[in-house]
Amino acid sequence: MTGLLSPPSYTVDPWDPGYGVARGDELDGRESSATLELDLELPASEWRPVTPGGGPLPGSVLFLDGVRRIDARVWVHADEPEPQPGVVASLAAGLVCCDSSARILDVAVDRGLYAETGEDIKTRHATYTFRHTPGGLDKLTLGVQARLAALEVELATAWRRDSNVEDDLLVVDGPLRGRTHLARTVGYVKTHQKSYLQPEQAAVVAALEPGQRSPVFGMGTSWERTSWYLRLPGATRAPWSAVVRLECAADLPTEDARALADVTARVLPTLASSPHKDPRAPQNLVPIGGLERQLRHRLGDAGLLYRALRGALA
Amino acid sequence: MTEPQANGAAPADLVSPDGRTPVGLVVGTVSASPLEFSVGVAPDQFLQLDDVVVTRRALPDGGEVRIAGVVTGVEAGHEGARFASDVFLIEQGALPAEVSEVAEVTVTRVEPEVYVPPRPGTAVVRATGADRDSALYFDTMADAKLPVGLGRDGQPVYLNFEFVDGTRGGHVSISGVSGIATKTSFATFLLHSIFNSGVLAGEAHNTKALIFSVKGEDLLFLDYANARLTEEFRARYAHLGLPADSFRNVQVFAPPRPGDPSGTPDVRARDKAVSPFYWTLAEFCEQELMPFVFADGEDERSQYTMLIGQVAARLKRDHQKVGKDGAVQVTGVDPGRGGQLRSFEQLVGLIEDELLDEDTRRDWVAGSTSTGSVNAFLRRLRSAVRPLSTIIRSDLADRGDRSLSTSQAQVTVVDLHNLPDRAQRFVVGVSLRQEFRRKEEQGTARPLMFIVLDELNKYAPRDGDSPIKQILLDVAERGRSLGVILIGAQQTASEVERRIVANCSIRVAGRLDPAEASRPEYGYLPPAQRQRATIAKPGTMFVSQPDIPVPLAIEFPFPAWATRSSEKGTWNGVDTGPATPEDPFAGMGADDDDDPPPF
Repeated sequence: MTGLLSPPSYTVDPWDPGYGVARGDELDGRESSATLELDLELPASEWRPVTPGGGPLPGSVLFLDGVRRIDARVWVHADEPEPQPGVVASLAAGLVCCDSSARILDVAVDRGLYAETGEDIKTRHATYTFRHTPGGLDKLTLGVQARLAALEVELATAWRRDSNVEDDLLVVDGPLRGRTHLARTVGYVKTHQKSYLQPEQAAVVAALEPGQRSPVFGMGTSWERTSWYLRLPGATRAPWSAVVRLECAADLPTEDARALADVTARVLPTLASSPHKDPRAPQNLVPIGGLERQLRHRLGDAGLLYRALRGALA
Repeated sequence: MTEPQANGAAPADLVSPDGRTPVGLVVGTVSASPLEFSVGVAPDQFLQLDDVVVTRRALPDGGEVRIAGVVTGVEAGHEGARFASDVFLIEQGALPAEVSEVAEVTVTRVEPEVYVPPRPGTAVVRATGADRDSALYFDTMADAKLPVGLGRDGQPVYLNFEFVDGTRGGHVSISGVSGIATKTSFATFLLHSIFNSGVLAGEAHNTKALIFSVKGEDLLFLDYANARLTEEFRARYAHLGLPADSFRNVQVFAPPRPGDPSGTPDVRARDKAVSPFYWTLAEFCEQELMPFVFADGEDERSQYTMLIGQVAARLKRDHQKVGKDGAVQVTGVDPGRGGQLRSFEQLVGLIEDELLDEDTRRDWVAGSTSTGSVNAFLRRLRSAVRPLSTIIRSDLADRGDRSLSTSQAQVTVVDLHNLPDRAQRFVVGVSLRQEFRRKEEQGTARPLMFIVLDELNKYAPRDGDSPIKQILLDVAERGRSLGVILIGAQQTASEVERRIVANCSIRVAGRLDPAEASRPEYGYLPPAQRQRATIAKPGTMFVSQPDIPVPLAIEFPFPAWATRSSEKGTWNGVDTGPATPEDPFAGMGADDDDDPPPF
């Protein structure tokens, strides 16, 4: 009967439906098997929103991101009675530097054939390098993903090696995964499919004001990270809207992790995107959105590559 | 396969095959055609409108096509931005984007004539030296290179004189709003260039120009050096291969000062090489000048036009000269009216009396003429008395220098600015006819005769007919072969008789009114230039000539001759002097105006 007294109101989720929702509906901590270490910065019982303090800001912020596109799915006819599946994919990774201006420092494009057996495919417009990827269709996709991650790391490592900048901050789009060894690096996670926090702490995240962050906490299963939540401006009434999770290597001393968290809470909110320009606003940061557009452009014309591939494999 | 790529921008070390640094590459996002292509401008380079560029295309047979053109548009934009507001993000350093500049090139020349488009990615270089001459066809002009000004690149731009002098085309049409377009300055500069650049070779001395000065006194100082001419401007003249001098041989004709019994020319600004001009009644009758009294466009629709010819014919037949000052007597009129006529008013009075008298009317006009037509004719004639009486008269002592003639000097300036509109038309019509006839009788086109006439829309309007328009049409259509070249100027080419504009081989536009610029008469200007013409600075002209498919924007140098009294420098002219009257002060009253006598 209460429903009749107060009619329901609605909030349209800010993300484009094609991208799903930023926050899953099972964020009550039951799903995650991760071990938590909530007391890193503040005791779990004293959790509250943290407003970042002062301190030096990085001279430049680097954003690392990659895009992938399946150019074609192929069947490899070899000695086996059944043809084996393969994936032909184009990947592009890029690095943006934001200081006084935003510029793309480097872009790498990688085209490959992911299959159990095979060899390089030369087409009129591109050469696809064979990458041995055993397993079924799912494994092939994971192989593509792994290659993209490797490409991103190559790019970031090469840049860090060649530049002698000591005060930059590298923001990697997505979880850190195999990139924890990069110094001054944070992973930037836009979606929350699993809850790592208990309901009391989750309430603190929900109460964050734009520009505020949660205390840092440790978590881990097979991997260990230090993590924190941050709210960007542009929130709506959708749950946890404009909240992103950041993570850094777990072996970073807590004090350094705290400083890093403060820096991200001061730098990233200014780069939040606006809803009419980005389907994943505000979480998809402006430099990353711009980079992704450029990278997709660098992947080349899909139709042209597809025709070239068909021509080469005919 | 990893393709390491530098950031979107073109590499800075582009080098074209011949070692020159290219300004950019032919882009592929805009289709290139044999007549138009676009150039992506390299990051450290720039292209502006009117720059001349050249690119090459190799052919399978080993040959090479050189494609040259002029930049007719340049656009810059952000690549990577999708929304207008992205520019703020880009400037704040949040969004990565690339600035791209693309220049649109209109092809002027393809050599050899294999009409293939340049291929995307081909280097484009700025055309200099021989490449530029070839791109703009200067190399084909040989001896007919007439410098008209400096291009945007600071290099001379030439006209093909064969399209001016009648060999292959003739006449010049200059359009532009008054005040800013500097039409008359450009016309005089063109004359200066024609006389001094060497295109006339041996004829330079005998070639004449007749300039009608309809506005102000600015054309009366052509033979005075310009005191404000700086070294910088002199250098520009030197760059064009022209002397930074004034005209040398200028004769100015001006109407007699009203009320001055000695007939001194009504010019305050100069005192050298000035002659008065007027027509005596004897000349008026003898040369049948009557039609030019009715030179307004509206007259042609009226019924009385036939009367004009009839009256003029009677005057020609029955006038008799009296004395040596050009007074006349008309024979066969009513005995009471047969006296000597010394002024235009007296002549008009006689015609009035005769025509209004039933008995004498049929001696002048056909019997069937209605009184309405006669009255209309007389009304028009009467209204011409005031404006024309200063220039049609026989009351001044003839000193032998009062005929408007181009024989005395290379440049003859007829000062009309003191005359009322009706008298201006009369002078222009009569003197044009006179010069045209002289050239007709001469039988040879050379030496040439240039006629500079401003406000062509007044003398040869698109609608209506008048004796002046007929003469101007004659000049436009036949003048080429007779060696009479019209340099016409007007604010609005759209209001000038189409056949005259169509006959001009050289079309020039200065600053144009935006509404005027959109008219079809300016179809020779590509859209970008039309738009530019609405903001053109004084001294900037767009010159279109048949040789070159794109009009060229030029700047002509500041006149080396004075254009106003305050600029008057040294006088470089020649004054053969009028026939000195026996008593220079004859007729000059003590209470005459304060001006010093002009000699």
